[in-house]
Amino acid sequence: MKKLRFLFAMLAAKCVSLGLKVLGRNATYLPGLIAVKLAPDFIGHLKKPATLICVTGTNGKTTTSNFITSVLRSTGKRVTNNSFGSNVQAGVAAALLLNSTLTGKPKNDVAVIEVDERSSLKVYPYITPDYIVCNNIMRDSLKRNAHTEFISYILNRAFPAKTTLILNADDVICAHLAPQCEKRVYFGMDAERPEKTEGMKARDIVYCPACGGRLEAEYIRYNHIGSVKCPACGWGNPARDFTVTAIDRENGTFTVNGEDYKLVNDNVVNVYNFCGAIALLTTLGVTHEEIVKAFENAELVKTRYTAEALAGGRRLTMILSKGQNPVAVSRVFSYVSKCEGDDKCVLVMVDDKADNTNNVENTCWLYDLDYAPLADPSVGQVIFAGKRCCEHQLRCDMAGVPEEKTVFLPVVSGSVGAIDLDRFKDIFLLYDNYLLDDARKEEKALKARCEA
Amino acid sequence: MRVEVLFGEVANLFGDMQNVAYLRQTLPDAEFIETAFADRPFFADNDPDLLYMGAMTESAQRRAIETLSPYKERLRALIDKGCVMLFTGNAGEVLFDRISYVTEEIETDGLGLVPLTARTDLFDRYNGKVLGALFADPEADAVGPVTGFRSQFSRWHGDNEKNAFLTVRRGMGLNEGSRLEGWREKNLICTNVIGPILPLNPKLTEHLLALAGAPVPAAHRLSALKAWEQRVIEMEDPATRF
Repeated sequence: MKKLRFLFAMLAAKCVSLGLKVLGRNATYLPGLIAVKLAPDFIGHLKKPATLICVTGTNGKTTTSNFITSVLRSTGKRVTNNSFGSNVQAGVAAALLLNSTLTGKPKNDVAVIEVDERSSLKVYPYITPDYIVCNNIMRDSLKRNAHTEFISYILNRAFPAKTTLILNADDVICAHLAPQCEKRVYFGMDAERPEKTEGMKARDIVYCPACGGRLEAEYIRYNHIGSVKCPACGWGNPARDFTVTAIDRENGTFTVNGEDYKLVNDNVVNVYNFCGAIALLTTLGVTHEEIVKAFENAELVKTRYTAEALAGGRRLTMILSKGQNPVAVSRVFSYVSKCEGDDKCVLVMVDDKADNTNNVENTCWLYDLDYAPLADPSVGQVIFAGKRCCEHQLRCDMAGVPEEKTVFLPVVSGSVGAIDLDRFKDIFLLYDNYLLDDARKEEKALKARCEA
Repeated sequence: MRVEVLFGEVANLFGDMQNVAYLRQTLPDAEFIETAFADRPFFADNDPDLLYMGAMTESAQRRAIETLSPYKERLRALIDKGCVMLFTGNAGEVLFDRISYVTEEIETDGLGLVPLTARTDLFDRYNGKVLGALFADPEADAVGPVTGFRSQFSRWHGDNEKNAFLTVRRGMGLNEGSRLEGWREKNLICTNVIGPILPLNPKLTEHLLALAGAPVPAAHRLSALKAWEQRVIEMEDPATRF
């Protein structure tokens, strides 16, 4: 009966997938949704590809899985990936469905699947990945993810014991996930140890989960990422198997376990993502030479990061800044403030599009967001565009961002008109992922202004 | 003015740490005492003018109950004396009779200072907004609408018909069947409204500080009022979904 239900679900989903393709639409969610509605255990009936890799964690899932996919493809592997689709249960089902024949056999050798943390309990009971890469566990959208203990609770129950985990050793929450998984590989960073802790006070883990003692930090890079130990029982970061030992920004390289790689992006968050990808790929048996070669041609996906010269000696950097995610946006603010140059203008559009349509966005996350980097003297103008601009104004006031350099606009459209192009050459446009199209329109308008 | 912040190292979820930042900026000359789990609370031997605790994880909540248990009589005395106490998010549940953590299958006695119970289900998260007014408070009109957000695993149960914090115009009260939010006894306030509630409601901040003996204007009053006024207009709009 179950098999019949699966076959019916498969047929229905394949038909929907075909229909969507004929209409020129993405088949990255709906076919999967129909499949799991008709057969909740649909994923479990599909034959697993030879190698199944899942990528999870609060930040960096897409970047990491894109890199893993890109390197594996460059080695000749045929890879299924859902980075341009949904990462919830239906998206995972849709990706595996696309990779399957009508009888459920896989078409490709490898699947690299992003899995939303909260969907883990609906995915892993049905499939056992060979590897799960987890980059970090941090406070995220409070509406969906609540807090890190809740996410850890889910992952601890969901990760299959036979899976090999590739974990960030510098994130003690992440590093201690799912003790039932005995095969564990740790990565992290020794380079650029901060001299002092920086950023937000909230670190999501303050007390030792083993004995309750207060954790001590040798250093914190951001949030709770760093070197942390319990003086009472010794609980803390595990030893790393893969370590970033140097970042050479001048020559555009970084070093992992003595081997150099092209520094595709110098944001420390992305260096962690690259290191996680390298740890997985090396564990899989991909050679250093193959990874280096693939990295040479790699770049961040254009929807996430672009940097280009504009007319008049100006420069535009566009960075995806996930709204509702205070740590992600705080990291972007910090990154921008540390970028070279002392005549920066930052245009921020991170208000949630859906939540501000006949609704009022829950703005709690703005109060976890660290606005202080915007007060940096290198940032000469800060523009917030969107419906929650008054809230941003209050937050800027609270964070000590000088009033004279701030502009608050209630709509995104036309916001580049507020940029003082006579004064500022280095322009940063930070946008939420649901505002990509709006950001592109502003980009176009800015280019027209620069060329005028 | 002495403000004690209980367990701020963990009770800081959902932006609630900015309640304290806002108080610090409003009261630059006040003494702030940050009490961690290992510390003897300042209130145990002194009379703070304001006591604050914010939202936290469920495990931190259980530890807070354990840590505060030896001081429950002292807390009762402070409530009776009219000390201003603000417990936001699930912090108020620490004072309740009982908390049922249904997912983890744990039952915990609270401090028994507030005759309510909480039921916490990790797989039943409630997200919402609140537009309300102070309940049975002579300054309710002067304070005006109280705005905020809700994001919680728990529902509160019990009778707060004489002791509510807010009369809810839009949004949920103690639970889905209630229009009375939170608990108020003298100057003790337990509310599930987050946002964080103080910077989101500058007039409420001023009211609470006046009750605590510091009648001062809220920090960044102009920008805070502007954001509050915009939020009130949006929340009062019938087209706004709740």
